[in-house]
Amino acid sequence: MTPSRPVVIETRGLGKVFSIDRAPLTAVQDISFAVPEGGFVSLVGPSGCGKSTLLQMLAGLIPSTTGQVLVDGEVVRQPAPGKIAIMFQDATLLPWKRVSENVEFPLEIAGMPAAERRRRAAAMLSLVGLAEFGARYPHELSGGMRQRVSIARALAPDPRIMLMDEPFGALDEQTRIRMGHELLRIWSKTAKTIFLITHSLTEALFLSDVVLVMSHRPGRIVGTIDAGLPRPRTYDIIGSAEFGAARNRIWKLIGQDDDAGAAEGMASL
Amino acid sequence: MKPLVVLAQTAFVVVVIGAWEIGDRVGLFDPKLLPPPSAVAVTLWTLLHSGAFLADARDTIVRVIAAFVIGAPIALATGFAMGENIGVGRSLAPAFNLVLSVPQSIFLPVFVLVFGLGFTEKLVFGITHVFFVVAVTAMAAVREVPHGQVVLARSFGAGRLRIYRSIYLPAMAPLVVTGLRLGVIFDIIGILLAEMYASRSGLGVLLLRWGESYAVDKLMAATVLISATTILINELMRIWETRVGRWRQAVDER
Repeated sequence: MTPSRPVVIETRGLGKVFSIDRAPLTAVQDISFAVPEGGFVSLVGPSGCGKSTLLQMLAGLIPSTTGQVLVDGEVVRQPAPGKIAIMFQDATLLPWKRVSENVEFPLEIAGMPAAERRRRAAAMLSLVGLAEFGARYPHELSGGMRQRVSIARALAPDPRIMLMDEPFGALDEQTRIRMGHELLRIWSKTAKTIFLITHSLTEALFLSDVVLVMSHRPGRIVGTIDAGLPRPRTYDIIGSAEFGAARNRIWKLIGQDDDAGAAEGMASL
Repeated sequence: MKPLVVLAQTAFVVVVIGAWEIGDRVGLFDPKLLPPPSAVAVTLWTLLHSGAFLADARDTIVRVIAAFVIGAPIALATGFAMGENIGVGRSLAPAFNLVLSVPQSIFLPVFVLVFGLGFTEKLVFGITHVFFVVAVTAMAAVREVPHGQVVLARSFGAGRLRIYRSIYLPAMAPLVVTGLRLGVIFDIIGILLAEMYASRSGLGVLLLRWGESYAVDKLMAATVLISATTILINELMRIWETRVGRWRQAVDER
């Protein structure tokens, strides 16, 4: 990551406390990081560490309890359609709409005229390699294809930022690897800023410039690993010594937290 | 449906009616207790040209429609509130489900005591029949709305109205229409029952009167007419149900 690139997403002391049955539950705490323009940053952490909460705060879908999210230097208080797009583990396609209509959906909300919308959806579908599937319904597609539709839909309003919450988490390993390559191809073509949440260390490292490591609940950033791997990346890189070393560093950060968590648990007994 | 299946189904109905007619002609059935279909058809034709019968039919139809027109929207709104608001849902849903498990006919004497024998009593009784089933299915329909879709639509900048129109409406439609279909059927049951129990007009009264006076041909004719009408309503609503639920079937078949 070259520090000269302008920062697009920035969080400052971001925290979220939920009140569940009147008991406060700290989901995430003191999250500060920055993502540069066109950068690819991933966040890994154990399940239930508040990753999804963080993503929803970044997207302006839920308010933070402390700190703030800044996009282009402006505080995010509500969703910013056309600027920030999100994607979930589940493709969340509308089952009663055709594939092309699903891709058009954000444009429809934005009030784009139908003809323009259709043209744009077709372009996005061919970008993700599904040009021929516009007239199909989501249930007629495989899991990987549905997730591609979901990418096409996220890209349709031409956002600058893509926030992805375990986008390939529900796919089988082979499809997952293929989708990772696909995402890198689309990223290099579209120059979006991507923030991706995953529990796969390999996926995080393979895709990103920088990997943020998050702790158990309450989720905190316990380390930032610069992937330092050359691009364009191919699958072979996963077997390289540098890749292994970087992955070990991430694992140690998560492991340390595990030990600390265990010690904490013992002490409180 | 395959043509052969349709043929077999039609053949079944024809055979039953034919056997009924022949049974009467050869003296297998007592025509006083079971008049032949041809006689029932003739009686039905005369009834449909009798002003008195049509006046009773009109009263029943007005009651059924009034109960539905008043009951269904209130039920939809209540069910929606129950599904959207956890507090409302928790407070009302158990009671509603319990009410649904009680045969509502047992409350009829109470209704008569409270509302008398007129239009109001029939109307309120009909409304209660529509209300609970429509409310409970509407609540279930709200719970069908995929949360992820709503979050996603919000991220695209969708407002509340847009989310209701583009996500809630199509997601809820199949179950809501099922509820409305059941509501109409329950409505008809409730109104006819109230009329048969105690009333000055309506098809229910006629059925009761004709049954008690051995006017079997008229009784059969009215029964056939009411059955045919409810079957028609039910089937039309089922077509609607299938239309709005086509996406759901396709998803389920996966």
